[in-house]
Amino acid sequence: MSAPPSNGNRGGAERPVVVCEEVSKFYGEVLGVNRVTLTIPPGITSLVGPNGSGKTTLMNLMTGLIHPDRGSIQVRGISPREPERMMRITGYATQFDAAPRWATGFQFVSTSLELFGLPRAEAESRAWKALERVSLTDAAHRKVAGYSKGMRQRVRLAQAIAHDPEVLVLDEPLNGLDPLVRAETIALFRQWGAEGRHVILSSHVLQEVDVISDQVILIANGMIVAEGEIRGVREEISEHPSQYIIRCRDASRIASLLFSEDHITEIKLNDDRLGMLVMTRSREEFSRALGRIALDGHVIDGVIPADENVDALYEYLIGGGR
Amino acid sequence: MTLQFRMRQAWTIARIEMRRAFFSRRALWVYLLALFPAVIFIGHGIEMTYRHKRWSGQGTTPAAALDSVNPRDTAEEVLKKAGKPITDRDWRRRKLTEEEETEKGGRIRRYEMVEGRMMMYYDGRRSVRLFFEDGVLKDKSIREEMNFDQDRQAYAGVFQYFYLRLAIFFGCLGIFMNLFRGEMLDKTLHYWFLAPARRDVLLAGKYLAGLTASTVIFTGGAMLSFAGMLWPHESAAVAAYWSGPGMGHLFWYAASAALACVGYGSVFLAAGLLLRNPIIPAAVLLVWESINGFLPDLLQKLSVLYYVQSLCPVPAPADPGMPPLLRTLLSPATPAAKEWAVLGVLAVTVLVLWAAAGAVRRIEINYSTE
Repeated sequence: MSAPPSNGNRGGAERPVVVCEEVSKFYGEVLGVNRVTLTIPPGITSLVGPNGSGKTTLMNLMTGLIHPDRGSIQVRGISPREPERMMRITGYATQFDAAPRWATGFQFVSTSLELFGLPRAEAESRAWKALERVSLTDAAHRKVAGYSKGMRQRVRLAQAIAHDPEVLVLDEPLNGLDPLVRAETIALFRQWGAEGRHVILSSHVLQEVDVISDQVILIANGMIVAEGEIRGVREEISEHPSQYIIRCRDASRIASLLFSEDHITEIKLNDDRLGMLVMTRSREEFSRALGRIALDGHVIDGVIPADENVDALYEYLIGGGR
Repeated sequence: MTLQFRMRQAWTIARIEMRRAFFSRRALWVYLLALFPAVIFIGHGIEMTYRHKRWSGQGTTPAAALDSVNPRDTAEEVLKKAGKPITDRDWRRRKLTEEEETEKGGRIRRYEMVEGRMMMYYDGRRSVRLFFEDGVLKDKSIREEMNFDQDRQAYAGVFQYFYLRLAIFFGCLGIFMNLFRGEMLDKTLHYWFLAPARRDVLLAGKYLAGLTASTVIFTGGAMLSFAGMLWPHESAAVAAYWSGPGMGHLFWYAASAALACVGYGSVFLAAGLLLRNPIIPAAVLLVWESINGFLPDLLQKLSVLYYVQSLCPVPAPADPGMPPLLRTLLSPATPAAKEWAVLGVLAVTVLVLWAAAGAVRRIEINYSTE
């Protein structure tokens, strides 16, 4: 079974993309998502937002479990209304924590593969490989209904990846995974992202999103607040000064030199006098100022951006909604 | 995707779903419904066989001797004609002979003691009960213990009044409503929607699973109860029936059970997609099917029962003591020709499945509202 590579970019560009155009979905009078326009390139993309912000709705729309009231969606050029074509290249591990009562973990994965038209032997072999990837072979022949929450999470993940999809949509995929499986799963996502596949996931664990995502989509109240690479998104937020942590030997002197610059808004010296937190309105000017200070012979051990992470973006863009 | 691939996909879906349709706990009462008539007929057969053996063991009386017994014969004359009965009981009881009113408005009743006696004979097919009063025959009651015609009529009644109208109806309700609605309640329907299959292929696969299960269960149940009806009867009579209309009767009973599953199955599959509460479609359809006889010709044709009853080889007997309204409700409408009946069920089914295919394409996963 090979997923046909397809160019989903409506503009005719080379890279296949997932496109949402002016997508709205309402549940009666309750807003699901409103006028969402997105273009998601291959790689790992994280949907981040508070509970009820519309992440799952957006994922369900992308995979055709629900249909938009307005707008259109194309997943690598295929409409979610064509499950026969789209689900051949897409895997979706939902958050719905239920599985057929009759199925063992192995049957659950292998029968879904049979629907791809695979001969039973091949379906079973692929199912076994998928279960190996999520470290679930020991429990493969037990009923899914008797699995723990973490095991059910893993078996859903196994089912989503078993057919080797081009687009993998995962709703809170790392919940309930033990550290080892979590690390292996993240490595798998990275590998798939690097291969030019789409890995679109939602997560509440912001540090995780930070570590694994190529890009983030921040969503609140059913609307997209920001999208893009984390750093790029951060640069768009001009009303919040950028924050840097500087480690250096002569913190007081360096702080006074920096404070003479117009773009510096605040400096907080560490108690140990070996570092400081600097807030600047201009990253470029801050970078140039640091260069000048270093050339003057001051020793700077390290400079780390303090707010180029999803946590900070979340705080700036969504506020206390988390 | 080729048609062949889609058909294979539908069969894979059907194969997976059949497991649920045949072996789920929810299917238990479907089996009970399907096997109920068989249990009744087999039970009746066992009772008849047991009685036949018991009475025959005590000696049968020639039918001619029993026919020669006339009212007003004395017990001694009967014993002379028919010999020793298999049961002979006597008793004494008070019999009211006179009743008069007194001047004060009271009543005086006079009784006399009567010697009662009951003799029972068996001629191998009929049991004859003779009731005597003071040694004179007062009443002669003849009962056919092995009446093949009567049993075939009973089967036709059970099949049309119970099996088609209730057992298959509610059995299909249980099986077919469960295919989509049950998965929505279990929150597992999304797995099917995430498969690389068209929604109408999914519908076809699920329908095929329900149809296979219901047809096997209910056609099997009909054939089993038919066999249960036949087996206690004399082998010669049964052989004559098989060489005559028997095979045709069995075929049409099985066909009407199967076609009832085809028709009701499609209706309940569609209802499971469109409605949350199974009681509503069940009640509406049950009323619709029941008043079929009152409906104009055109509307009669929009009923599954109209067609499947037309296929039944033996008309259902109507009890003359039945209230007129109930008799009208139970009596079948003017039957359609068999070929039109088959085409009619298939046409109703195609129409309903076409509507269901539209509904399944629109359906969304939103378990929170279930």
